[in-house]
Amino acid sequence: MVRALQASLVIVIVAAFALAACAPGAQAPDCSKPETFCVGLVTDVGKIDDKSFNQSTWEGVKQAEKELGAIVKYIETIDAKDYDKNIASFADEGYDVIVTVGFGLGEATIAAAQKYPKTYFIGVDQFQAWAIDDDKGNDLPNLAGLIFPEDQAGFLVGALAAMMTKTGKIGGVFGTDAVPPVWRFGEGYRAGAKYINPNIEIFIVYHNDVGFDKTFTDPEWGAATANSMVDKGADVIFGGGGKTGNGAVIATAQRGQYAIGVDTDQYYTLPEAAPRLLTSAMKLLTPGTFELIKAAKDAQQGKGTFPAGNYLGKVGYAPFHDLDKEVPAEVKTKMESIYQMVLNGTLQTNVPPAKP
Amino acid sequence: MTSSQSETTLSPTPFLRFLQLAFEAMRVPILAVLTAMIVGGGVIALAGGNPLAAYIGLLQGAFGSAKALSETTVWATPYMFAGLAVALAFKGGLFNIGAEGQLAFGAVATAWVGYALPARLGMDLPAAVHLPLAIGAGVLVGALWAAIPGALKAYTGAHEVINTIMMNYIALNLVSYLLNGPMKDPNPLNVIARTPLIAETARIPPIVEGLRLHWGFPLALGVAALVWWLLWKTTLGFEIRTVGANMAAARYAGIHVKRVLIITMALSGALAGLAGVIEVTALNYRHELGFSIGYGFDAIAIALLGKTHPAGVILAALLFGAMRNGATRMQFLTQIPVDIISVIQALILLFVAADAIIRFLYRLRVRETRMILTRGWGG
Repeated sequence: MVRALQASLVIVIVAAFALAACAPGAQAPDCSKPETFCVGLVTDVGKIDDKSFNQSTWEGVKQAEKELGAIVKYIETIDAKDYDKNIASFADEGYDVIVTVGFGLGEATIAAAQKYPKTYFIGVDQFQAWAIDDDKGNDLPNLAGLIFPEDQAGFLVGALAAMMTKTGKIGGVFGTDAVPPVWRFGEGYRAGAKYINPNIEIFIVYHNDVGFDKTFTDPEWGAATANSMVDKGADVIFGGGGKTGNGAVIATAQRGQYAIGVDTDQYYTLPEAAPRLLTSAMKLLTPGTFELIKAAKDAQQGKGTFPAGNYLGKVGYAPFHDLDKEVPAEVKTKMESIYQMVLNGTLQTNVPPAKP
Repeated sequence: MTSSQSETTLSPTPFLRFLQLAFEAMRVPILAVLTAMIVGGGVIALAGGNPLAAYIGLLQGAFGSAKALSETTVWATPYMFAGLAVALAFKGGLFNIGAEGQLAFGAVATAWVGYALPARLGMDLPAAVHLPLAIGAGVLVGALWAAIPGALKAYTGAHEVINTIMMNYIALNLVSYLLNGPMKDPNPLNVIARTPLIAETARIPPIVEGLRLHWGFPLALGVAALVWWLLWKTTLGFEIRTVGANMAAARYAGIHVKRVLIITMALSGALAGLAGVIEVTALNYRHELGFSIGYGFDAIAIALLGKTHPAGVILAALLFGAMRNGATRMQFLTQIPVDIISVIQALILLFVAADAIIRFLYRLRVRETRMILTRGWGG
């Protein structure tokens, strides 16, 4: 019995240790008080430091911590069924603003915005259909979807590609054009290239020949398509559409040609392609998130109205990184002026919102 | 293995003997959990976190309120069904790594019956018909899917480990195709790979309004009791355990080994299917690709931690459910990544599997006979 007693003793000691530790308790700031401004972020299934959507959005939240004195926290989602629970973790603690990342959380965010009318919600990359219908009954004054004009981002990198090509041939490899943002990237790219050189030869292929499950997760197809474009003489290729696009970007870089990434600065997410990554067509998540958080704070203090509905963020193109020396100064100047014109609306992409 | 009974002798009183044996059976898993928590605490501290604050958050998140308890059962329920599935197969000497695929197929079959069958039949079904049909479909599909590697093992000797892994790929990719294609929610705004919502008549209601605790949880406890009864109180259960212990002896004893192998896998698949069925009918009301990822694999750890005994599986599933559920609160309070939970779970499994470490650390003697998991190649 001695051995068993020893074992029990260990258990008792550890348990006592744990119980004693429980006594002080963690002192968390009380977010339900009006003087504290708290912002919580719920990730899509994925990590906070994904160097992509979650991380860029979190940086916007961190900016609010620095500039608005907000108390900020995040929860990483490990299973889609926890979306509601994770949002509620913040809402029940009296958080003022809750940011949810990615379209996967769209419905959970709408449901939470209905359930917690005093909390402001920011849905990143979540298109709000209720905001464009005629029914006023389903409007949510406390929810803003942060969306982006992908056609403008595509336009910028299309113009750059047209200026950087030596063969006069450029390519684009995309997921299915049935998803409007993908189509806008692709057609914006085409429009931007034609804006620089109306006679440029452009190969654009959408991965429409497979189901939705495969269209964004087919790096082999993306690589093969990019390779065949390089074989046909293309020396700049834009890859857009999840892993399919990544496959194209990596293959292009490995062939020594200029590759262009998508959504966030893929210099950091695709190290294999980084040395030959010319730029990325970026959705500027960080400033967009910060602007909406600031708007929520102002609205809370009666200094303005929260831009409920669809909030159009800004796009941009990523730094040239390793290839900075290969980009001529006049191209850089031209890109800056195009960017300004696209931002202030004097230069229109003329790409409709979805494939007609 | 010979037992060393030099220090403790079994009590003659049946009840005390039961407690004694239960304690001895549970001490390695319990010590494994504690050791893993201590080592995990070291990992948290190394990463710059406060282990005590983390564990307080974990406890609060798992048990700190009615809602937390309810969410723990929500997590534990599929773990219980899937853990029972793997444990039952272990008892029959089979290693069912395919629970994940069986679970996914069960969920899809149930979802289809739930949303599409009334329209196909052109009539509304009463709940008394619709719900049993929906549950039955998922259980049956899970059983059939698992019976295939069972039959391959019985008639060709193909090892079930390989076949169940391979069939996971088939199942998961097929489910991905179905959810993205023919079974996708046709709402034009929907971009997510998921089915439409199932009809009200195919849903299991929550036990308490406002909490997600559902009838699947008591059902899992009941099914665990049923599995125990099957294994130890029926002829079939005896046959399963005998085949698991020694296939040649079972054959010599006149047991139809091929039949038992197939039945064992089918029962295991039915239980795994039930895990998916309950997620669809009682919790999510649809199947979606992001739901229920990895239960079938966690189930292997749960079955091992529970020493392949139904009661042990229930406890292990509650533990894993509590850890997964409490992780959110832990992260909320301390901003320690939820991955630390996976680290601790892996450590628990390591200590349970390599129980010599625990026995050495705590100077435990061995009484229990070795647990039979699965036979080697071509056994």
